[in-house]
Amino acid sequence: MSYRPKLMQGAGPLWLTMTPFLVIFLAFSVFPVLFSAWLGVHDWDGFSPPRFVGLDNYSTALGDPVFRKAVWNTVHVWFWSTLFTCGLALTLAVLINEYALFGRNYFRLVFLLPLLVAPAIAAIILRVFFTANGGLVNMLIGEITGTPTFFSWFDSEFWIKPLVILLVIWRWTGWHMIIFLAGLQAIPRDIYEAARLEGVSRWSVFSRITLPLLAPALAFSIITATLGGLQMFDEPFVLTQGLGGTDNAATTLGMYLYATAFTQFDFGLGAAVSWYIFAAVVAMTLLYRRISAGMGATR
Amino acid sequence: MKRLWRNRETRWNLVLTLGMIVLSLFFVLPLYWTAVFATRTLPEVFQFPPPIWFGDQLFVNYSRIEAVFPPLRPIWNSLIVVLPKTVGLVLISALAGYGLARYAGRPGHRFLLAMTFATLFFPPSLALIPFFLQMSWLGWLNTFWPLIVPAMASGFGVIWMYTYIGSSIPHELYEAAEMDNSGPIATFFYVVLPIIRPGLAALGVWTVISTWNDFQLPLVVLGDGTKFTVPLALTMLSQTHYSDTPAVMLATLIGLVPVFILFALLSRQFIAGLTSGAVK
Repeated sequence: MSYRPKLMQGAGPLWLTMTPFLVIFLAFSVFPVLFSAWLGVHDWDGFSPPRFVGLDNYSTALGDPVFRKAVWNTVHVWFWSTLFTCGLALTLAVLINEYALFGRNYFRLVFLLPLLVAPAIAAIILRVFFTANGGLVNMLIGEITGTPTFFSWFDSEFWIKPLVILLVIWRWTGWHMIIFLAGLQAIPRDIYEAARLEGVSRWSVFSRITLPLLAPALAFSIITATLGGLQMFDEPFVLTQGLGGTDNAATTLGMYLYATAFTQFDFGLGAAVSWYIFAAVVAMTLLYRRISAGMGATR
Repeated sequence: MKRLWRNRETRWNLVLTLGMIVLSLFFVLPLYWTAVFATRTLPEVFQFPPPIWFGDQLFVNYSRIEAVFPPLRPIWNSLIVVLPKTVGLVLISALAGYGLARYAGRPGHRFLLAMTFATLFFPPSLALIPFFLQMSWLGWLNTFWPLIVPAMASGFGVIWMYTYIGSSIPHELYEAAEMDNSGPIATFFYVVLPIIRPGLAALGVWTVISTWNDFQLPLVVLGDGTKFTVPLALTMLSQTHYSDTPAVMLATLIGLVPVFILFALLSRQFIAGLTSGAVK
């Protein structure tokens, strides 16, 4: 061991380098989160004196049919968008890694392009293509069926959710694909060679070798999709022009939170909702960790 | 080629590759059509089949949006937010990541690392409402400060730089710097920063693009239309001028161009930035 001056062995330099991060983090993240816990048990509109109400905000939220609908919408959109996005991305990654004859670099870039487009801007583009009067999709349907179509997609209680899901798939498939490709390329080739020599079928190779070895990448990708999905705001907000669609058909938890705080100025209720979102995120994260650890163990 | 075609496996792979090319069109066509529509007249946009090549109406369409929505304003606003935030975030993250990578084992190290890691699982929506109130007390509402300063402390950025520095700088280098009596901060600026430039670029591109695309936070803190960043301004334009599709598409295109130029220049760093999170 070489000689070191006393100061250099202590905690001083570590904390010194962390100081700028810690100061900003304490002021603008830790403080708001603590403040949010306080808000959650108070009734406050930001002007009149705050009133302590215990857990009323939490039960008010549960009793509100719009909140319950928002929970359902969020779960619906999160589940299908995560399933399709990750499923499509995994398929593409395996195809590009093992089957594509040419264009590997093209595929890597092209599926990623939509990620560069802000969710709000992607929603604007989608609105143009699905416009009721003269939109590309309605015209295509009109051409195929022979009757002019003026279906208003964004007012439909049923179709608004698939459109939000479509937007998520369009933007995020490339990102997940890149994650899976990196995971696939980390798998040593000689495992595949050995399996091929043993005459293992392609499906068995995928389900017994590729998938288990890809478990960490899958967990990472699903957790990230879940973190985003449970807080989804931009896409449904812009697609429904801030209104949540007909009869709140596309109101997500993120939009519900926004509306309680910034249109009804019920900060306490909004804070309570944000703690529900937090609880859901933590629960989901722990669940995935367990599942992916289990998958790794049974390999 | 003929022999390749006879091979059953190759034939199958060719079909799959062509299928993926068709699928990839679904991902680029909306962007391509945005550009095509931006150069067409309104009646042309509503034709069927739609135009598939560029028209000559670019400047005509531009003059229409120029009148109601000078596009340079939101781009300038976005730049005012994006540039200082990115520089601050990258430097602060690199400094903290360097500390965590170099001083492993010092008192508090485990706590700091675990805490930084835990921040990754804190949904930003948890802080949204109290953050808004905090900004109003500070008098920062309707200014760019809430979008610049608080966002400089990024747990993601710190963990990213910690992993990057840990894997790219050997401990012998710190020992050599110590021999030369170079203090922790001087070592950071003169030894570490020059080496980790590719890592800084990767985190920087990712920060620029995600900040450029931010919607919810600017929506909450910016009230005045002249302060709107690009996604907000475009959303407003698309609602007030929804019937003028070419103009909306052109404005959208203008808002996308800066990000696409940056991506064209630094796509390798961008992709490296994406995959770094999946390493562990």
